[in-house]
Amino acid sequence: MGSGPENGYNGYNGYNGYNGYNGYNGYNGYNGYNGYGGSAESPMMSQALITNRDGIVGTHIDNIPGVVAGLANSPKNLARLAPSVRAALYQSQLGPSVDVTFDTKNDQPIATLWRRTEENKKRRSVVFDEMVEMTGPTIPQLTTQLNHVVGYARIRPDRGAEIVSQVDVPAAFYASIGFMDPARTPYTLELLYAALGFAVNVTHRMKYSLAVKRPIEFSPQIQPMIPTPTHASLPSGHATESFLMARILWKLLIHSKVPQYNDHAYWGDMLMRQASRIATNRTVAGVHFPIDSVAGGLLGLTMADHIFAMCCGGDWTSTTFNAPNFDPADDLDWHQFYAAKNDRMKKEASSDLGVWAETKQHAPDNNAVDPSPILAWLWDKALDEWKDLDPSSKA
Amino acid sequence: MSIWTSEYDPDASEIIDQTTYFRLSLGDSNFPIELTEIWWSVLIVLEDISIDQFEEAASKYAQDMLIPIAYDAADRARVMPTQPVTIYARKKLIKKLNKQGNPYHVSSVVLGAITPERFLNHDAESLLLEDLQVDDDTVVQAVIDDGIAIAHDLFRTGATSSRIHHARIFEAEPDVAKSHSSVGRSLDKADIDALLAECTFNGFLDEDLFYTKSGQVDLAQHVFSSVALRQSHGTHVMALAAGHAMTEKCDNRPIICAALPSRAVKDTTGVELLPTVYLAFHILVKQARRFRTKCGTLAPVVFNFSYGNNGGPHDGTGVYAAMFDHYFGENAETYDVEKQKVWLTLPAGNANLRRLHAVADPKVSNGDVSLDVTVLPDDRTPTQVQIWMPVCPVNHQIDFAKITVSAPFGDQHGTINTKIGQQVSLLNTNGKRVARLAYEYVGGATQRGLVTLTINPTSNLEKTRDLAAAGVWNLQICRNDGAPLDPINIWIRRDETIPGLGPGGRQAYFSNSDYVRFGPFGEPLAVDPADSDSPVRRAGTISGFGSGKSPIVVAAYTEKDALMSGYSAAGPLNLSVNSPDPHRVGPDVTAKGDDSPVLRGVYSAGSRSGSWVRMNGTSVASPQVARGAADHIKGSPLDGRAWAREATLIYPFELNGDPTPSRAGAGGVDIPTFEKP
Repeated sequence: MGSGPENGYNGYNGYNGYNGYNGYNGYNGYNGYNGYGGSAESPMMSQALITNRDGIVGTHIDNIPGVVAGLANSPKNLARLAPSVRAALYQSQLGPSVDVTFDTKNDQPIATLWRRTEENKKRRSVVFDEMVEMTGPTIPQLTTQLNHVVGYARIRPDRGAEIVSQVDVPAAFYASIGFMDPARTPYTLELLYAALGFAVNVTHRMKYSLAVKRPIEFSPQIQPMIPTPTHASLPSGHATESFLMARILWKLLIHSKVPQYNDHAYWGDMLMRQASRIATNRTVAGVHFPIDSVAGGLLGLTMADHIFAMCCGGDWTSTTFNAPNFDPADDLDWHQFYAAKNDRMKKEASSDLGVWAETKQHAPDNNAVDPSPILAWLWDKALDEWKDLDPSSKA
Repeated sequence: MSIWTSEYDPDASEIIDQTTYFRLSLGDSNFPIELTEIWWSVLIVLEDISIDQFEEAASKYAQDMLIPIAYDAADRARVMPTQPVTIYARKKLIKKLNKQGNPYHVSSVVLGAITPERFLNHDAESLLLEDLQVDDDTVVQAVIDDGIAIAHDLFRTGATSSRIHHARIFEAEPDVAKSHSSVGRSLDKADIDALLAECTFNGFLDEDLFYTKSGQVDLAQHVFSSVALRQSHGTHVMALAAGHAMTEKCDNRPIICAALPSRAVKDTTGVELLPTVYLAFHILVKQARRFRTKCGTLAPVVFNFSYGNNGGPHDGTGVYAAMFDHYFGENAETYDVEKQKVWLTLPAGNANLRRLHAVADPKVSNGDVSLDVTVLPDDRTPTQVQIWMPVCPVNHQIDFAKITVSAPFGDQHGTINTKIGQQVSLLNTNGKRVARLAYEYVGGATQRGLVTLTINPTSNLEKTRDLAAAGVWNLQICRNDGAPLDPINIWIRRDETIPGLGPGGRQAYFSNSDYVRFGPFGEPLAVDPADSDSPVRRAGTISGFGSGKSPIVVAAYTEKDALMSGYSAAGPLNLSVNSPDPHRVGPDVTAKGDDSPVLRGVYSAGSRSGSWVRMNGTSVASPQVARGAADHIKGSPLDGRAWAREATLIYPFELNGDPTPSRAGAGGVDIPTFEKP
């Protein structure tokens, strides 16, 4: 993602998802087939095209008959658009689907992520349903959590390569579980990067609201092994994104109905293990408290349901995370709030201090926003990449 | 200016163990908390007194003493001429025990490691050990190590069914609800199976979660085990000894194991594991006796303990070697009820090329030697050099030599004779002691004088007032006229940072210029060159643990070139009361320590199920022999060492280079382990 300081000068590239891991520019053929043999904006190429036209253009044609108008507002256009254009369209759908507000209660900051629905379609007045309510942790909690950060520092030599490789989008770590490759699953990658682009905006807004300090601000002995990002600690962006990616992939596998994936929860479990490991690696690195990952995990899993509903309609989930009830002696354990079997978030997670996470499934009501045709198109394209080939269909 | 002084120190008189004294007298900056509050593991030897009687005699110090419940009522009532017992105690009591002629009948003291009080449980209740009925072909495999991934699938027969019947985790906070252990946690098969079930989701074991719940890893509370890392010594070793693919459903090789502390605790006085090792053996020996075959006999047991050490007299009488004989030797009398067939495999050690052994041999250069000891900078733990005199009876102690030490800077030096009461300390300009040279007599079966040179750490991040200088320290050993001409042996104790466990020691070594390290083509010389009269020797580097009479001691070879691995330590033993017929000349047998000079080590289990890692050393050779031994112990009429010699015919591997028995024992063995999936 473009969220880390490592590419902070170049944040835009991080968001559109075509520069990082997936090697789109190199592999997907947009360059190879575009007929220019190089960048379209090359001065030499432009000069060549000018002289070339002069050489062959001939007399002006006066009569241009039979041009049919473009297909207005149709997803059918999407296949002909550049990936970066599509990426902008996805964000245009996802971004306005939510809003974030801020409040305080008992001196604790609360950030709320709202989900748009519509009250009256003619007047286009919209209302929002509460999707994620997140109450920030207390300082004594974080001070206790600091012990985890210090303890995890001991295994840095063991995790160093992973941590550094996961600073940017850790797609390779999911591609090593679900068979992804820019040539094989370009739309799945596009879907994942669209989800990540969306998640970055949401997490930054949540982080900004809660303004939770980083471990490095608590103790001079943390000495993280990578630069600490300048944005706030909770929710962890890496946890949000890694659980979001894991759950979207798991949903694709489930909906593919392919025998090897369908109903075999070990695929989902393995994806969640990966998400958890990536999230924990940020604690090992010294830049996150485990509670940041708990918050991020809940947020990412909830957003996965939201994105799926934006693509396909259907249920969505709301989640409350009440950090002060999380036992600060505890570590991230995703089994407490999610089960890969049946792809469900658990209704409740609690400690001796009380309930710290609650989730609810919601069926769409009559006023629900329809799924986005643009995102539905992307979902179908991605889903096709996971289906077994049909021997009876034409190649 | 620093000065050497032999001023009388009333505290230092009549000390039983100089090392214990030295460690307990180091400055506060060497300890994590107030010294008087620290609990230590301590090995004591009781003479003609039972544990109960000892406890009664020392009842004044009840607040400073914990006798583990691993010693049951029978153990506690038993009176023996000498009986080693591991206790946990605080300085107040330890100081009293470490005095000659103490009223508690304690004749020997070995100070172990700092043990955080939260790992101790004064209220633990012992559990009645019930017999386990097993098939007649059952052989119990016992492993003592550190960092044992007990949930690994090579130690299971199913997703939630462990082959481990008992696991003792020394470094863990007690499970208060059901603690049957005075230190750490003890897990039986039912406990492990329950944890496995609790941590299995959709057929996957969440191993990170398992080790949190088992108490082995709690990073926030500084409870660390290398099972948190990709590679862990105990997992690798135990898989070589007793790992079987889960699908094999191996049910005739039940496992019992003990995971020693990982030395995570700040202790810059030099950790000694012996007390915990003794306790671990005591616990596992009892656990092993639970396995009874259907025909009514006790199932045989093969132990593996892949640890080595450089200290001790190296003649089979040291506290280490004596331990193995105490539990497994011919006269193992602790359990006098019914004999159980027990073999033990140990590594020969990896110190062959490390320049930790020297000999003052009168047959060479009239027996006077000058030894340079290079002490490294940033060494956070003390350096200890042991100078062992030839055997002489307690009532005819001989003043063999004059021993002089000088520090890297300044021309001053301190000298002592090898006589009771001789000691000299180096005081720095702050008046702090930074080094000490002291004589003691080690009785029992050993019957030798021992001069110990202890040098303070050369680095400490907090206090620097009592640091010793890094650099070349010099030791001069001059024979006294008319003293017997037997050799004096010198070993530097192991003192190095263990990977994954934070900064600690840095190994000092002999840096005499006459030691020839390389051959004419630049290859490291694995055997002392015949034409060298350097006092620094590869011969005699065999582990102090491996000097005992009964264990099967295993050296290491490199498979590809079929040569002995360069590090594989060699005999002979120190001359002893048994000489000229010592009970061994070196290791018993040699197994694979490396695949090739490039692919160092052998593959075995990583910390997580399904992962494989390389590790080398005699540590990995030893468990392979344990694996083979488990297949033969039942039917073999031989003792373990005789079987090991026979194993060179059962699992032959021909070694090149014609290694001597002092390096290779009876020869090479190639013992098949598991098939990697």
